[in-house]
Amino acid sequence: MKRRFFRAAVLALAFALSVSCLAHLRRAKQYYAEGQDHARAFRADRAVASWKKALDEADRECLRKPSAQAFTVKGLAETNLGRWREAEASFLKAFSLGFGPGEAWASDAALAGLASSFEELGLEAPALRIYAQLLDKSAFKPALMAAAEKRTNLILARITDLDPGEKARTLAGLNKTLDKLLDRDFACGLYHYLHAQVDGHLGDLRRSYEEAVMAGELGLPSEKILRDNDNQLVYCYFKLKDALLPAEWDAFAAAHASWAKKWGWRDDRTPAWKKE
Amino acid sequence: MGKKDIEAALGRGVDILNEFLPLKSWLFFPILYSACVWAVRRVFDFRARILAWQVWLDPDIVRTKPDEFVLNFFCGDEALGREYADEIARRDIRVLRTAFPALYPIFGLEDAFLKALFRPEIESADYRAIVIEFASRTAKARDDIRPAAGDPEFWKALELIGMEAASLGLHLLKDAEVQNIIVALVKKPAGAAPAMPPDA
Repeated sequence: MKRRFFRAAVLALAFALSVSCLAHLRRAKQYYAEGQDHARAFRADRAVASWKKALDEADRECLRKPSAQAFTVKGLAETNLGRWREAEASFLKAFSLGFGPGEAWASDAALAGLASSFEELGLEAPALRIYAQLLDKSAFKPALMAAAEKRTNLILARITDLDPGEKARTLAGLNKTLDKLLDRDFACGLYHYLHAQVDGHLGDLRRSYEEAVMAGELGLPSEKILRDNDNQLVYCYFKLKDALLPAEWDAFAAAHASWAKKWGWRDDRTPAWKKE
Repeated sequence: MGKKDIEAALGRGVDILNEFLPLKSWLFFPILYSACVWAVRRVFDFRARILAWQVWLDPDIVRTKPDEFVLNFFCGDEALGREYADEIARRDIRVLRTAFPALYPIFGLEDAFLKALFRPEIESADYRAIVIEFASRTAKARDDIRPAAGDPEFWKALELIGMEAASLGLHLLKDAEVQNIIVALVKKPAGAAPAMPPDA
């Protein structure tokens, strides 16, 4: 009777502990997601408070039942709180523990987080390698989009230091990667926007214009990017005016005028948000 | 319904800002002006719109532009083109690139809050002062607006003011008129306070 009671008590305790552990990880994820929501709505104070709670819960989970997922959530919270060194250690710990089947999304999130912390610590080369790997292998769209944007921006920021030959090769490589992403997900406006930026560097303004049109039509993740995309359209418009033959220019200008009308621009060169 | 009613509504806006941001009157003009801009467009998610400038300080988008784009930005804006005429003529990309991160969010992306925050410099066409002041003034604005930005009541109150001003015909006034009304209200003796950050 005593032994049966003891066994039941142990089982109950084990159940309670596992529920409690699960609750820590679940709460950590919940607080992290809340923090992301607050950050998107520019409620910085509340976002920071939520990420701190997420970190606290993830810390407890890591102590009680260390797992790759727990260290990933801990690292993501630390990344958002700007604790890059700690974040780097957490992501590395997550990889040392290993991700189980069905946790590919967590592994990709940890990789993106690790790359981001490397970048913040000035380690751009390993960050670029991780972004490239994510772009090659990941099926987790948020990680893919983050990697595409970060890698493109990192490379474009360094492009002015390269000699013309290397610059052309680097830009062609960037476009090849973006073309592959577009083959997989043509409806992603962000990839078209990034393509338009790279085409602008290459001087292929016709293609840059076309990609920027598609980006605007398919939708962009923020007003900042949307306005910048409109500025890219106007930039291409002016540059093409000088570059195209008169007949080509007439056809282009007519097409652009109909787009501008569709978008509600004030004229061919002034998006609706200009001169508020 | 006319200019007087709008003035009265915006005057109440100044009083409300005084409650939420005591001793931070240098922020009243940018906040109230950007609220008016969005109210005219009948977009009332003020929190996201007014605080969007904080996202626009993200350097990624500005440090990756090709030289030609930067040059075209300065040439395409009449006032900036005049101010930076020498650098443009010399194609001094180093100087233009240094100025670009401060001037592009204001004149390229046209953020209402940032435009109002640097109104004195824009009015006096002192664009180089914007470049010098940009980092410190935006950092100070971010710090000073934080206590109110976390309070949902602040945004509710601001939305009510915006909606009231919009319903009174705010869209019939010229942009410069709206700016002048707010500046006059902020400078009134009752709220006597600097229109510039104290240590800017």
